[in-house]
Amino acid sequence: MIEKLPQIWPELLLFLTTCVVMLTGQWPSAPIRRLTPWLAAVGLIAAGGASIGAPAGDGLFPGMMVYAKVLTAIVGLMMLPLLAGTVDRELEAQSARGVPFQPIRSNGAEFYAFFLFSLTGLMLVSSADDLIWLFLALELTSLPTYIMVTISTQTTRSQEAGIKYFFLGALGAAIFLYGFALLYGASGTTNIPEMAAYFRAEGLGPIGLLGVLVSLIGVSFKVAAVPMHFYTPDVYQGAASPVSAMLAFVPKTAGFLAIFMVAGVAGWGEDQRLPAEVDAMLWIMAALTMTVGNVLALIQSSVKRMMAYSSVAHSGYMLVGVLAGPGAEGSPFWRNGLAAVLFYLLCYGVMNLGVFAVLASLERKGEEADDIDDIRGLVKTQPVLGWTMVICSLSLLGFPPLLGFIGKVGLFTSGVASGNIPLVIILGINSAIAAFYYLRLVAAAYLEPASDTGFRPSPYLSRQFAGLLSAGGVIALLFAGSGLIKAADNASRIAPPDGVAVPAKHHDAGHTTPAEPAHGHASQPHG
Amino acid sequence: MIADLLTAPAWSALLAMAPDAQGAGGSHAATQVAHGPGWVLLIPFLPLLGAALCGLYAAMGVKSKLPAWTVIGLLAVSFVTTVAMATGFGGADGAAYTVKAFDWIQVHGEHNSFVANFSFFVDTLTIYWMLFVTGLATLIALYASEYMSHDVGTGYCRFFAAFSLFVFSMACLVMGDNLVMLYLGWEGVGLCSYLLIGYFYKKPSAVAAAKKAFIVNRVGDLGLALGLYLTYVHFGTVEYAALFANERLLHYVELAKTGAFDQIPMMAQGIPLLLMVGAFGKSAQFPLYVWLPDAMEGPTPVSALIHAATMVTAGVYLIARFYPVFLASELALPIVAWIGTITALLAATIGMAQFDIKRIMAYSTVSQLGYMFAGLGVLTPTGAAYHTLTHAFFKALLFLCCGAVMHGFAGQLDLRKLSGLRRVKGWGIVSFGMLIGCLNLAGFPLTAGFFSKDTILAEAFVTPGTAVIGWILIITAGMTAYYTFRVFFRVFVGPVEYHPGDEAHDHDHGHEDHGHAHGETHTHDAGHHGDHHGDHFHPHAPGWAINTVLATLTVLSIAASGLYFVGAGEAHGTKTKHYADTMVSASTAGYHSPYSEHAFHAEHGADHNADDGGDHAAPHAGVGPRGTIDEPLMLLGKDPHKIMYYVSGVVGLVGIVLAWFFHYAGRKTASECRMDKVARLFGPIPRWAENKWYVDEFYNATIRVPLRVVSHFFHWFDKLVIDGVVNLAGLSPRIGGWLIRPSQSGVLQGYAAGMVGGVAVLLVVILLVVRFGGGA
Repeated sequence: MIEKLPQIWPELLLFLTTCVVMLTGQWPSAPIRRLTPWLAAVGLIAAGGASIGAPAGDGLFPGMMVYAKVLTAIVGLMMLPLLAGTVDRELEAQSARGVPFQPIRSNGAEFYAFFLFSLTGLMLVSSADDLIWLFLALELTSLPTYIMVTISTQTTRSQEAGIKYFFLGALGAAIFLYGFALLYGASGTTNIPEMAAYFRAEGLGPIGLLGVLVSLIGVSFKVAAVPMHFYTPDVYQGAASPVSAMLAFVPKTAGFLAIFMVAGVAGWGEDQRLPAEVDAMLWIMAALTMTVGNVLALIQSSVKRMMAYSSVAHSGYMLVGVLAGPGAEGSPFWRNGLAAVLFYLLCYGVMNLGVFAVLASLERKGEEADDIDDIRGLVKTQPVLGWTMVICSLSLLGFPPLLGFIGKVGLFTSGVASGNIPLVIILGINSAIAAFYYLRLVAAAYLEPASDTGFRPSPYLSRQFAGLLSAGGVIALLFAGSGLIKAADNASRIAPPDGVAVPAKHHDAGHTTPAEPAHGHASQPHG
Repeated sequence: MIADLLTAPAWSALLAMAPDAQGAGGSHAATQVAHGPGWVLLIPFLPLLGAALCGLYAAMGVKSKLPAWTVIGLLAVSFVTTVAMATGFGGADGAAYTVKAFDWIQVHGEHNSFVANFSFFVDTLTIYWMLFVTGLATLIALYASEYMSHDVGTGYCRFFAAFSLFVFSMACLVMGDNLVMLYLGWEGVGLCSYLLIGYFYKKPSAVAAAKKAFIVNRVGDLGLALGLYLTYVHFGTVEYAALFANERLLHYVELAKTGAFDQIPMMAQGIPLLLMVGAFGKSAQFPLYVWLPDAMEGPTPVSALIHAATMVTAGVYLIARFYPVFLASELALPIVAWIGTITALLAATIGMAQFDIKRIMAYSTVSQLGYMFAGLGVLTPTGAAYHTLTHAFFKALLFLCCGAVMHGFAGQLDLRKLSGLRRVKGWGIVSFGMLIGCLNLAGFPLTAGFFSKDTILAEAFVTPGTAVIGWILIITAGMTAYYTFRVFFRVFVGPVEYHPGDEAHDHDHGHEDHGHAHGETHTHDAGHHGDHHGDHFHPHAPGWAINTVLATLTVLSIAASGLYFVGAGEAHGTKTKHYADTMVSASTAGYHSPYSEHAFHAEHGADHNADDGGDHAAPHAGVGPRGTIDEPLMLLGKDPHKIMYYVSGVVGLVGIVLAWFFHYAGRKTASECRMDKVARLFGPIPRWAENKWYVDEFYNATIRVPLRVVSHFFHWFDKLVIDGVVNLAGLSPRIGGWLIRPSQSGVLQGYAAGMVGGVAVLLVVILLVVRFGGGA
């Protein structure tokens, strides 16, 4: 394990920060408590910095670690200002009035610590080279978010959302754990590159195929793809906006990295297509996910629910990239669907944040804005928030030349190059449907007259700052676009198979029957 | 960087569709043209700066002549820079160079690439064109500073911003080093033309004229765009330096010399046909000429600069620039020649019957542009370019004189309502300028117009198969002389009489106190002219700016004839006759070389002379022998140019005499002359000509009305059927949403059941249908 140390320095640094944050978050002295987000920021910067120099990983995607970890650190940093004021508001207000601070009633420490834990989990997902590691990392990403949803507001709605999220999350985890077990059973190894090499040499077989299918469906809970999407609207709406913003990025990114790995185990063949069954299933999931997400988003009047469904739809878009695969060796970056997904995750993380930041920045007696009526005429009443809404919504819609457009171009081109024309057409139709509700956001903020609904800017101005960062990022990252796509291209290249030994399991176990692996390998570690 | 990213996939597809261009990149690398001095960039960018400043002035609400002086100053510097560029170039021996402003479009594929930088190509043709573009622009801006003075304020800023932007666009058009730059400038001048024709945007006729110009030009621009695309597809580049050294093109020109057009691919032969459509639109050639006469709705300086001297010669420039490409086509140059000839004749007939002097000048512009196209078509790009230059001067002069009349007589342009202006005080310079302009236009011996027109006429007679064109052009020359001097004899000499136009109160000249009914007749005796001060309309004599410009242009128009005798030299090893010849022959328009010396000389005997148009059925004969300076082709045993001096001189004089006889001799009033009686003898024909042979009505009936009917049909089809379908389609996602919504019940068990059920359904579908159903 010690040889992995250079690769997971970022995670270790972040974990260390988490421990410190857990203490400072409930420190009796208010100035030290106020230091907590700054410490978290320092930790994220250190982790991001450490990941830049990290060596290539041992996993299926050696280059992915650096990209994913830097991405995590950057988006995490952008989210930090948004988190301010989510928990402990009353407590801090009392403390300011001289009431002694009661750590037992405080949630601040957990909130920031779990935020960092979740990001640590996400980073660990990117360095996973083993199914067990991958499973633990995925759960480390998700478990803290269950609690964050629950504590994010004082209402029972959050608690309901948290509970739902937890149970359904556990169900999803059970499903992909079952899939992982099948994969192990079929290949006799939990090491991902070895497993991929094994399947490449021996073929998937019925068990391996079932393992891949079940794992993919299970992991798709994290990305909220149909049919695992049911929780999204309730959870997004129940949680406070800053947490919803986080949910739309952190578990989704972890989920897509895991999907890459599982799909990579099945392998994109010579023709750059996944095995027929896997291909068909992802095809159906992609088509359903974007369509269901978009048509449901269309009829919402709650912006948060709309964004939840749009988050579902965006996962569907990205599944198109997964289907297209990384492309042949040396093929141009616009052929690389995985690179398109990685880049789109960055785009999505940045532009999605802005919409939630706007919602989080509008308050009425401690209640956040949610209904579309609440943002009418925002450009006139609150220019910063209004323009953030306009820019981010347009970018989410994929309006040229904003960031979301560039992200989508890659998905389109890779989809076309891989021959998935019908799916690309569905993607196009869905983008058009999405235009309906995103333009509603733009029109409400920009065109419609303001009506006083009693919403005032949140006293936590850092939330507006987060929105500004997001809108600025949508424009500024345009200029870094080609560099970022090249980075994503490098990150999504599959390790050449030569270095990996094919496990010899097949030869000693003979021909496998469905019953055999269950007992045959429980006691026998892979050869 | 981001542009590369965005365009890469799309362009790659485009590049893949251009198999012809494979490997054409090789010649690209081989022809590196030297980089020129950076200050050349001042020529286009100073006018752009002027446009930007005028926009700024408008925003600041400047209410003085500041915009005019800014633009005049910047244009003057631009002109001086052009002169420096010309003197620094080294004449015909100078090597062409490019000056890059910045990388613009660069798409690199695996086998080929598409490069169009924002850079400028300087060779003798560029210099030749830019000299008169920037020079005239400066002069006319000065004229406009006074002419537009009634509009000082936002309108003034708007005028000069568009004016300056026009010069920038024209510079891009002429100086661009690739077809895309040319296209940019082409659209830019079209836009500025539109803006300036519609300058009086409250006047419906001006708006209609602007739209007409814009829309008619779209037809031509489509041809240009397609030509651009095919050029890239076929030759693999749109950059001049690479294109005109392209081995394929050189090979085609070699083939064309021997008349072996059947070995040249149809695509290469099609390119010039498309390009010429663009040229016909911009240069107002038949059948796309109809916009130009209407374009006179714009302020007169605009008519002078854009619609007489510079923009409308863009088509001539385009064909001259792409002369090798045109030579490689069997049909292109004969078509150009015939279209030019038909245009020249048609416009001249219409011009003879018009009464609005500005419109007469407009039709004469169309007609003279026809001469230039005919010149290009009969293998004398030199003649075309020389006529472009002389025409630019004398036509600008004529327009500005008409403008001065219009300015001074409250918009009056009807030649039946003006007479004897020569003797009105303060109109001497205008009248003299008009005389010089008219002499030039009529081709009076030893004027510049005489020499340049003769060049075209003579070449028409010696180029095999085009003698009919020559005859038509000679007849047209007589008509030109007639209608030109019709204007002069009616308006500037004869009894003094003038009626103000209907704009008497639109002008802020301090004459508002003369409030009286318009159209009242004022017959003035020269001697009693002063008595009418105070109670009658008083013409507003041009001020110093207008007079200075008119005087300068008069001098230039006279001096332009001197160009016929200077500047002889050598270009690519062939002797050249005069300045224009040197400049044109040394550029890509000079087909003597660099493609080969004495091209088209060897295969056809020099005795292949003035045979009549009978063998036009074999158009490759159109690319015939040219002769040289030392060894000119003979026409009836003489130098055709010398013969033409006498023929066209006599024809011109006859036209002038006829005009004198019918419109001056014995004329007592402004409105009546001997011609009225003669015209009656022709029955309805003069009326038909006055109504422009009903071409506009014909277009209206055959194009506009059907289009309108079709568009109404589609409008309703769109509204009822398409919108219905679209609304239905728009509704269906919504209906889908309502249908799926119950699945989001909010009940935890329901969600869990949905997830597990979804897993089950998916797996069953995949395993049963795909795996065992033979789908794999």
